[in-house]
Amino acid sequence: MTLKDLVKTSLSNLGRYRVRTVLSSVGVTVGILTIVTMLSLGVGVKREIAHVLEGVGLETVRIRPATEEGTPLTQFLQPQRTVLITQEFVDEMRARQDVIDVRPEIDVPWGINISLRIGDEAIPITVDEVPWGPAEPFAAPPELVAGAGLVPGDEGKIYLSSDSLTALGLEGREAAESLVGQQVELVVQAPRGDTEVFSLQVTGVFEPKYGFDGPYFDAHIGVADALALKAWWYNDPDILAHDGYDALMIRAATLSDAAEIVNIVEGRGFGVTSLQSMLEQINQVMILVQTMLGSVGGLALLVASLGIVNTMVMSIYERTREIGILKAVGASPGNIRLLFVMEAALIGLIGGVAGVIGGWLLSLGLNEGILAYLAWREVPLTGTFFVLTGWLVALALFFATIVGLLAGLYPAARAARLEPLDALRYE
Amino acid sequence: MAAEAKDDVLVRASGLTRRFKMGDSYVDALRGVDLSVARGEFIALVGPSGSGKSTVLNLIGGLDRPTGGEVWVNGTALSASDERTLTRHRREQVGFVFQSFNLLPRLTAEENVALPLMFSRVPEKDRFLRARVLLRQVGLGERLTHRPTQLSGGEQQRVAIARALVGRPVLLLADEPTGNLDSAIGAEIMALLRELNEEQGLTVLVVTHDAEVAAFADRIVRLRDGWVES
Repeated sequence: MTLKDLVKTSLSNLGRYRVRTVLSSVGVTVGILTIVTMLSLGVGVKREIAHVLEGVGLETVRIRPATEEGTPLTQFLQPQRTVLITQEFVDEMRARQDVIDVRPEIDVPWGINISLRIGDEAIPITVDEVPWGPAEPFAAPPELVAGAGLVPGDEGKIYLSSDSLTALGLEGREAAESLVGQQVELVVQAPRGDTEVFSLQVTGVFEPKYGFDGPYFDAHIGVADALALKAWWYNDPDILAHDGYDALMIRAATLSDAAEIVNIVEGRGFGVTSLQSMLEQINQVMILVQTMLGSVGGLALLVASLGIVNTMVMSIYERTREIGILKAVGASPGNIRLLFVMEAALIGLIGGVAGVIGGWLLSLGLNEGILAYLAWREVPLTGTFFVLTGWLVALALFFATIVGLLAGLYPAARAARLEPLDALRYE
Repeated sequence: MAAEAKDDVLVRASGLTRRFKMGDSYVDALRGVDLSVARGEFIALVGPSGSGKSTVLNLIGGLDRPTGGEVWVNGTALSASDERTLTRHRREQVGFVFQSFNLLPRLTAEENVALPLMFSRVPEKDRFLRARVLLRQVGLGERLTHRPTQLSGGEQQRVAIARALVGRPVLLLADEPTGNLDSAIGAEIMALLRELNEEQGLTVLVVTHDAEVAAFADRIVRLRDGWVES
């Protein structure tokens, strides 16, 4: 028998039992659909993440001070710092050849009571250091309305939101522009009863973007001013010596330099977040998700293969006489075996084709759904999260065919073993 | 064509036995059959049911293996053969005609006839050319694309005969070929076999219990209880 005859005969046999063929292949379809969706998600998400992080720079390392392990009694309190980000450490990092940029960060204390005063008007506002930049890859800087944004090293400057100006009765672009370069006052009130006024120059006004993940603040100030604020709040002029910086952003020259720095600072006991390690974490989550989906798909394929075995065994009972006739006219056991294996493999292939098409459609649908969700949440992420590549399609079809083929081996062997005379007599 | 006119022996069986297991007991279908068929002979194997005549035919056709004894067809010993040899034998040396025709119902007449050549790897075009020639020869030139259900019993048996001939066998084995046909049609089928025997020198072995059918043969071999009577 030539391959052409084999395929033709098998297809015609499957065509005789269309409903059964389709039903047997549905299991394969479900399995392949799951696996295809899973793998295309993996490919797509990896691509998207790599794409996003490429723009941000994987060379960025963010360091936090080490803290005491929380006990059940202390876990809700501010933990004691054990390894500090000191000025010496910052200088040491700055001195390194493989470091391009070092930016210490100070968090404005949580719960601090601050008001913005312009002229006679004052409103309570929230203040933070600049939260965007390389350390916050998913937060885009807000839109500039007037003046200029804060740059690292700015001291005595403040970057205000247009909302807070509106609350003070200063509406519109002109009001914003007229304010740039003016001194405004931040009035801080401590629980102990003291009040302190920090006079800052307006560097610019921004249009706040609501919705993107991360806190929203009314105003941003430079690190030196944040430190002064914090020192006064805690009534500790030497707070930098006692507590160090709250975080340190290091931008290494290359990816391997970043890895080297991660090693060094981890060795000193700091907490480290690098985009590289974030990427690894995301990868681990992806692997977990893929393993779960893969197990579901694998299970579906296992059940599907049993279904195919069942179909083929039934088919042998029904076609025993036919097998006898084929043997009587000269079919060898090998011919019979090939015919049945081919039929089973084709059931797998048919299921696989349907699964790939189904998986492709599902991926398109899920993609649209995710994009719609992200747009709704105003997350500035777009792209394709499910990517169906050629090799993925080929792999899925090959796998489906192999599943069918393996399922066909046992029934085919049974068919091939039939004695021609017994088969001919079978009613 | 009388057997004496040929000295070339096509089929030789000696001391052929065949024991079937029936539950816990055994049935001896053949108890030592000796038979010799010359090339070009037309032989009828007759006997009551259970005499073992079909068993002899199946052993000669390589559909079954003897329990003991020897059977040679066209120089090949079938008794000790492996499956491969038996398959080749069925494919190349013999053609079967059955009582119940045994056509594949979903295939057309020409597809049924062409089917055996698929296993001999004959190109598809040649297979159908040959099938059509044979179907015309058996008088079914107008029925090429009919399916078995659209054909009468006599026509189905003609298709089966064409299929048996498609591989150019040296030996045609027919097991009660007229058993499912009325006597007039049965006679036509036997006349066709006789014609093939006389015009093409095809050796024919027909199993029957019908004396009228046996009358078409050159020689009648009678079996009873697994022995050759005469």
